[in-house]
Parts: sequence; C-alpha cells; structure tokens
Amino acid sequence: MAAHEAQAYKDPGSPEEQSRRTFLANATLGIGGVIGLVIAIPSLVSLIPESLIKPDKSIGGVWAPLSDAEFKQLESRTDNPVKMTFSFQYADGYFPPQPDDQFVWGIKLTPEQVETFQQKRPDLYTPAGKITYPAVVMSFVIFSSICPHLGCRYEWHPEATRFICPCHGSQFGIQGQHLAGPAPRGLDPLPFREKDGKAEVTWIQYKSQEPDRVIVAYS
Amino acid sequence: MNGLLAWLEQRTGLVSQTTDFLTEDVPGGPSYWYVFGSATIFCMILQIVTGIFLTFYYAPSTASAYESTKYIYDNVPLGWFVIGLHYWGATAMIALLFMHMLQTLLWGAYKAPRELMWVVGILMLVFTLVLGLTGYLLPWDMNAYFASQVAINIASSVPLVGTAVQQLLSGGPGMGTLTINRFFGLHVWGMPALLILLAVGHLVIFRHNGAAGPPADVDNKKLPQGRFWPDQLFMDALASFLVFVVIVLLAIFQPPLLDAKADPTQKFIAYPAWYFLALYGMLRIAGLTGNFVAIANLFATVLIPGALVTLLILLPWLDRNPSRRLARRPWILGLTALSVVAAVGLSIYSQLAIQQEQAEGKTTVANVAPQPMAAGGPKGGAAGSNIAGSGGAAAAGNGAQVFATNCSSCHGASGAGVPGAFPPLAGNPYVVGDPALVIHTVAYGLTGPVKVNGKTYNGSMPDWKGKLSDADIAAAITFIRSSWGNKATPVSAADVAKVPK
Repeated sequence: MAAHEAQAYKDPGSPEEQSRRTFLANATLGIGGVIGLVIAIPSLVSLIPESLIKPDKSIGGVWAPLSDAEFKQLESRTDNPVKMTFSFQYADGYFPPQPDDQFVWGIKLTPEQVETFQQKRPDLYTPAGKITYPAVVMSFVIFSSICPHLGCRYEWHPEATRFICPCHGSQFGIQGQHLAGPAPRGLDPLPFREKDGKAEVTWIQYKSQEPDRVIVAYS
Repeated sequence: MNGLLAWLEQRTGLVSQTTDFLTEDVPGGPSYWYVFGSATIFCMILQIVTGIFLTFYYAPSTASAYESTKYIYDNVPLGWFVIGLHYWGATAMIALLFMHMLQTLLWGAYKAPRELMWVVGILMLVFTLVLGLTGYLLPWDMNAYFASQVAINIASSVPLVGTAVQQLLSGGPGMGTLTINRFFGLHVWGMPALLILLAVGHLVIFRHNGAAGPPADVDNKKLPQGRFWPDQLFMDALASFLVFVVIVLLAIFQPPLLDAKADPTQKFIAYPAWYFLALYGMLRIAGLTGNFVAIANLFATVLIPGALVTLLILLPWLDRNPSRRLARRPWILGLTALSVVAAVGLSIYSQLAIQQEQAEGKTTVANVAPQPMAAGGPKGGAAGSNIAGSGGAAAAGNGAQVFATNCSSCHGASGAGVPGAFPPLAGNPYVVGDPALVIHTVAYGLTGPVKVNGKTYNGSMPDWKGKLSDADIAAAITFIRSSWGNKATPVSAADVAKVPK
C-alpha cells in the first residue's frame, strides 16, 4: 500500500507533513472503526433469536388434549397405529399465541409387546438416546409425527406394516424401531398422560439427523 | 499484502483509482466548514444500516406492524437501541440537512457553476422529508395513525387531483393495511433508492466543481492547501463522531416511545414530527380564519409549501447577482433570515399549542379529524356533556371518521366543497344554522340548485338515512358544525330521529 501511495502523491511533503498525515489517517480510521463497531455490534446482536439466548428447557410445560374420537379409536385397538390430531397455543414470533394444529401417531401395545418394547427400542435406553419420561404409559406409546432423518412427516403403510417416510424412504416398525433408510434413530416417543378422563400429550421437537435425542423446542 | 494489492490493481485498477480519488487536493484547503454535508451522508448510511436490520423483524400489515415493532422493543436483543439509533438518526439527518442548506444559502454556494448541485440537494431534502413522513406511520401506534391520517388528508385537499392522490397514497378509500404496505415500499425501497442515486450525483458534481468555500468577506485569508484524505476526511470523521455520540446518548436516554396500537375509534391528540411543526402551525392559523378557512387551508397545505420548494429549486436562476459576498446580498439573506424566523416561530407556536392541549386532555376533534384544525374548532366535542347520550367526545371523534369515509370525497377533507357542484361546509351559514334543516339535508338528501354565500351549486346530495345509523349521522353533523371555524351546537341521535321526512 505504501508504495502505491508514494506514487500517487505528487507532493510527498516534508517529513513533518508526512507524519502529520499518517497521524490523521490513523485517527480517521480509528474514529471510523469505533463508529462502525457501535453500529455493527447492536445490529448483529439484534439478529440473535430469543431461543438461542434462553432455550426453553422446562419439560412438560404444555399438555394438549388429543381428540376424544381418535383416542377411542386407539383404545379399541386395531393392529394399526392411529393418527391423532391435537391443537396447542403457539406464539409465532410477534403474533399473539394462537392455536397450532399438530398430529401424532399412537400405538397400543399388548402385554407381551410391552415386555418386548425395550428389546425392540434399544435406542431409547442408551444414555444418548434416553428420554426423561416413560415411553410406554398405560400400554400406549405416542410418536412424534416428525421423521428423525430430516423432518418430513412419515405415514403408516398397512400393507407393509411399516411407517415409511415419503421424502427419503426411511422405514420404521410398528414400535418405531428403525428398519431401513437414512434415519439415524427410531421414532421419538412423546410424553403422554391421562388427566380428568382426557388423553394429553406434550409436543417436543428433537434435532434431526442425530443418533442422540437433542431437544430443539417444546410446544 | 503488497502482493495481493498489486494483483488486484493489475486486474481491476481499483487501488490506483481509490488512491487518486482520496488523495485529491481540496481547493482552498480542508475546512471544518465542510462537515455538514459529510455528516448528513454519515446519517444516511446510519439510517440505511439500522433500517436494514429493522426489516429483519418489522412486517407491514395492520395485523403485524404494531406487534412486530413492539417485539423489537421488548424481545429483540438490543432492538430498542437499533430503533433508537434509527429514530434519532432521522432527526439528526434532517437537522443536518437544514444546516447544510442554510450554509449554502448564506454563502451563495448555489450560484454558477453549482446550480445543479443545489437542485439535486433540494430534491434530496424533499425525499428525506418524505422518508420521515412515511417512516412515521410504520409503527402503527396511535400517533402514527392519526398523524398520518392528517398528512394523507392534506394531500387530499389538493385541488382537482386531491382525491386521486389520497387514494393512491392510502391504497383505498381509507387508511389500512394497504396504506402500511405502500408507506413501507416508499420508505424502504423507493425513497432510499432515489436518495442514494441523488447523493451520488451530488457528490460527483461536488468533485467536479470543488467546494465553494466561504465568501470572500467571511474568510479571505489564504487557506492552507490540503488533501481530501486524510486532512478533510479526518475533519468529516470527527464531526460525524460528535453527531453519532449525540445520537447514541439520545437513543439510550431518550428512547422513542411506542403508543398504544392504532385504534381509529379512540380519541388521541396527534402530533407531527418536529420538522413538520411549522407546516402544522400554518394549518392551525388557517383554521382561525373563519369564513376564509377553505382558501386559507389551501394556502397552508399546498400553495405555500409548494411555492417554497419551487422557489428554492429556481433560486440559482432567480438570484442573478454574481457576488457571493454577504454584504452585497441583502435581499437573499433577509429572506433567508425571515424564513428561518417564521419557521422557528411557527414550530414553537405549534409545540406550545399541542402541549397545552395534551395538558388539558382536550378531546379536540381537531386532532383526530382528517384535517387538523385550530384550537377554536370543535367546542362540542371538547365539552362532551353537550352531546346527548354518553361518550359525546367519542361521538364527535367518530363524526370525523364518518365524515372522512362518506362526505369528504365531495365536500373535501377541509370542508371546502367543489365550485359549482358541492357547496362548502366551512363557513356555510346553513351548516351552522337550524339543526333540523341540516339533519333533513343529510338524512333525506337534496337535489336541485342551492345558493351558498352568493354562489350556486348544482350537485346532488344523497339521502343517508338507512345507509348510516342515526348516531353516525348525528356525529357527522356535530363534526361539520364544529370544524374549520364553524361553531354551532352539537346534535344527538335523538335529534336525528325526530326530524320527519
């Protein structure tokens, strides 16, 4: 840079002149730098989402009731899982909380299946995949409808007796065990309870693509 | 480092071009007198940067404008500070623009060969004021709503094209979500793009002609020679830094306030941004002119501001005096001083009037009405108890709304009417006369020629009974009888019901 400046200056001036200019140049850059930082730091900080600053680690905060008719269907027990819808209050950004519709898959296990669940789902009982609530409650298991691979919604295919994700072909057995395809783990059970005769779930989103269960968000 | 720069220079020439540009001599030497323009440019950059970050959150619609603004205040980390910088940066930019313009006027720097630089500068001033006006609406709080309502209705009082202009600005007959979208588009894309283009033009002309410098009788000693970089830029940076420190302190200790969300049915005493106080003062004075209120409003809202901008643009050609010496330009300097005194006086007058009204908690329809009127406007609305039934003040405020929605397209937002077709309401003896006659005209319509103040009007008044509730008709009549200098008793819904067809 110095070489170019020397060429461009038609009059480099006396040594005092040059030293004065160097000082002014550095002072100007310094002032510009301070102004720039005071603008840039708050501006960039303003982009940090709330959820990164104070991630919501509270568990079981929001219980949402499942639809009665759909839960009756699950209780009456077919060999197929039952898709159940529910709705919870969700605050999207600056909008006031409003109903957000979601769905889950429920299965009812026979007593023998309850016993074999642990064997079928070792991923739930390794330290990394462990969930902090019981997966089987009153012989019911409720699965999040989100595929653990990349977040698509999988479907039950009765002819194959498998859950199959349409996006990348991940396949899961009726107990949610990973059978085929790119998914890194089995399906994610959600907290489930019975309260005042109502079946309720909590909506939890786990991080996709991880063999471990990392909570991203609660409803 | 040298290797990389040499590589870049060989392929782009950027290094030598930048060096040549920066190390150019400043004719007459660098001076702190030149910092007003550069500090304005600094504020423009500050506005662009903070504005970009605000758009990461702000969403223009009636459902989200207020909510997203509040979210920036309450939830976004340091969001309140970014908004504060943007708010006070706007004030600083406009203040510096005025100072920059005043200096150019005093020094006669608009004279040949810098006429076009001056014209570009005036356009930049106008566009910056439009930026201030459009930005004022975006938070969609009470003041944003009512102050913008006033501004839009001023535009609607322009003869001939008023209604079209008003609807183009609002995106429909009234203010709503489309208005926010339009103001957002103007504020975020249209005006900044124009302003950047003009700023580049302004600077290119500046580099071509050099700085005009002070007139010979202010400073005729030989200024030391110096270069743009770093001599002049150091002075510019120092001035910008001082301005920035003030903006930061204001953003921290005087953060801009967010009112309640816009609600057209609530009473609210709207106040304009400080740089529009002088115009607002003219409007208030126009409202005091009694029977001449319509023509006075036209002068206050359109003719005087329009003439002022036209005069400023034409100034380099109107002022043919070749001298820039202060002593030889008494006319221009006198007029400039007079304008400054008038603007400051009007602003102080408005500010005091607004403060007084806010202190009194006065429910002037003047302030919620489409058109701000003099303090002497609607007495009925202020007293409230004069109006039969509860919520008299609210009814009068509602009257302004009913009028704006249903009546102003023919009778004008300022009640001026249309010659030959629709009679004026301001200064109309029938309007302030027998209430029963006014109610009958509004409720059951009127066709055929009518004579008002010696002039004939031959439009057609529709019958509003059935289309509007008795309460709305009463509110609108109360409004027209107490606005634009009219002073007459309010009417109630019961009065309206009593008048037979």
